[in-house]
Amino acid sequence: MEKMMSKLSENILDKFSMDFLRNQVLKNAYGNDDTVIAALDPRILIAWYLFFGVVPWFVNDLSFLLASFALVMVTTLLARVAGLVLFLFALGVFSQTGYLFLATLLFGGDASAVAPLLVLTLKVATISLASVTVFSGLDPDRLSNGLMWYGCPERLSFSISYAYRMLPMLMEEFQNVLLSYRLRGSAPDHDTFAGKVRYLIYQVKIIMESFYPLMLNTAKRSRTTVEALELRGYRYGATDKAVRKIKLSTMKVTCDDLLFLAVSALWMSLAVLGSTLI
Amino acid sequence: MNTMAKPAAAQSQKLMVFVLSMSLYGLATLFTELIPKFQVGLVEFSVEYFLFIPLTLAMLFDPLSAALGAATGELVFSEIMLGQFGGLGELEKFLTVTIGIYIAGRMVSDPRNRTMVGVAAITGTAAQLLMGTVVDIAKVQFAVEDFEAVEGLPESVFATEGFAFCNDLLFSGIFFCLLPTLYLVPRLYGKIEPLLGAAPRTAEQNVSGLNPKALVVCAIGFACAVAAEMAATAGMSLVDWEAEWAESGTAMAVGMVVAAALAVLVLLVMKKNQERNMAC
Repeated sequence: MEKMMSKLSENILDKFSMDFLRNQVLKNAYGNDDTVIAALDPRILIAWYLFFGVVPWFVNDLSFLLASFALVMVTTLLARVAGLVLFLFALGVFSQTGYLFLATLLFGGDASAVAPLLVLTLKVATISLASVTVFSGLDPDRLSNGLMWYGCPERLSFSISYAYRMLPMLMEEFQNVLLSYRLRGSAPDHDTFAGKVRYLIYQVKIIMESFYPLMLNTAKRSRTTVEALELRGYRYGATDKAVRKIKLSTMKVTCDDLLFLAVSALWMSLAVLGSTLI
Repeated sequence: MNTMAKPAAAQSQKLMVFVLSMSLYGLATLFTELIPKFQVGLVEFSVEYFLFIPLTLAMLFDPLSAALGAATGELVFSEIMLGQFGGLGELEKFLTVTIGIYIAGRMVSDPRNRTMVGVAAITGTAAQLLMGTVVDIAKVQFAVEDFEAVEGLPESVFATEGFAFCNDLLFSGIFFCLLPTLYLVPRLYGKIEPLLGAAPRTAEQNVSGLNPKALVVCAIGFACAVAAEMAATAGMSLVDWEAEWAESGTAMAVGMVVAAALAVLVLLVMKKNQERNMAC
């Protein structure tokens, strides 16, 4: 039994290695350019998201909620979202409402608590899946252009583009710093329970300490970044109307985008029809 | 070299602090999002708070840029990148993180003073956590209908949220915010500033100090956070969807279906035509 457990934990640790995380995140960001969702116009998709991210909160009609959930599930499948993200989504939905249900049972509630919680869960799930579709399905550059068109601050779209470009480098650097700290020290034994606690503290301490060189390195890098940006006139360009226009001119609404909207509308109005008939 | 001695941070230095804080805190929150949390009963032991990173930066550099950078980093790296963007609700987290870090950063006038740094770190963390707890309790109270009617739910919400607050403050707050900040701030002081071309913060510079104006702005920000969270959570009776259907009934719904179906058909025909034209 113990052997099995250790094997299992080893397996999970293998899966959660730094490389795995990096691959999943990168796959999520750049791996699915060819899907139906990624080909849509970002502005249309954001408008679509605004509907499915807001309206479910205000509706308590079960058939409407189920229909929207089904729709966003289909779009999530179409967007071919990375597995890790879906796993996190499931975890998130459970941690938001599932634990409340358990707590309710613990404090003497009964099964009647399930119905309102089910509705709440459905709402949370629909909204998160809609955001998964839009924000993981879209290319970061297209996404930030779309956000910019809606008047989001230039800082935000800059941050998105920068984050996607820099993340792999940052992760690698963090890993290197961490490994070099590990090479220099010797980890405490972790056979006994006290040893395990010491080992955990040691690991956490190393992570904290490795932020010291990481901060210095990142400071250097961010200075270089900002100087490069300033050389290209970033701070003036960001607020200039003409620059904005050139940047946003690549976006185009096509038939496919409208078709996507129309099909969504058809499906939702069918749901409304269904709920009035029942 | 007069540029090093300039007391007020120039605009581009603020941008540097923003980028620095964004990338570091973003990276850290990405990890916390990915590391599975382990639960012992209701107690959640998660490495939730890498808050020491923006806290350190806010104490060394311009507090507002560091705070905004951290909040943006969290939003972009762990929410948008992983597709976990929660819409309007994210505004609450954004604002509470910004306010907590900003308060902590303003409190420190001399980063070499360890007591000051420690007090500021724990105050900032506590402020952020407390705001989060208040919003959470209110959120559940409004989101679940018949809140009072469900037996055991009110008590359980207060108990779990109150417990989570104490747990977070004592566990994450001390181990992941206070101690690392105390370790990092004095070590980085005087070393990291020249890398950004800034002068180290001294007591005479007067960037710090919590004046009433800053506190009022923070309070307004918190009110916005609560309002955003409420709007995102509670059913605003302004938009009364159900009543609308009930009155207009099936006819309206049929009309909507027909309109949508027509739109789909027209678009399909248009697409066909376009493709034919392209082929020619």
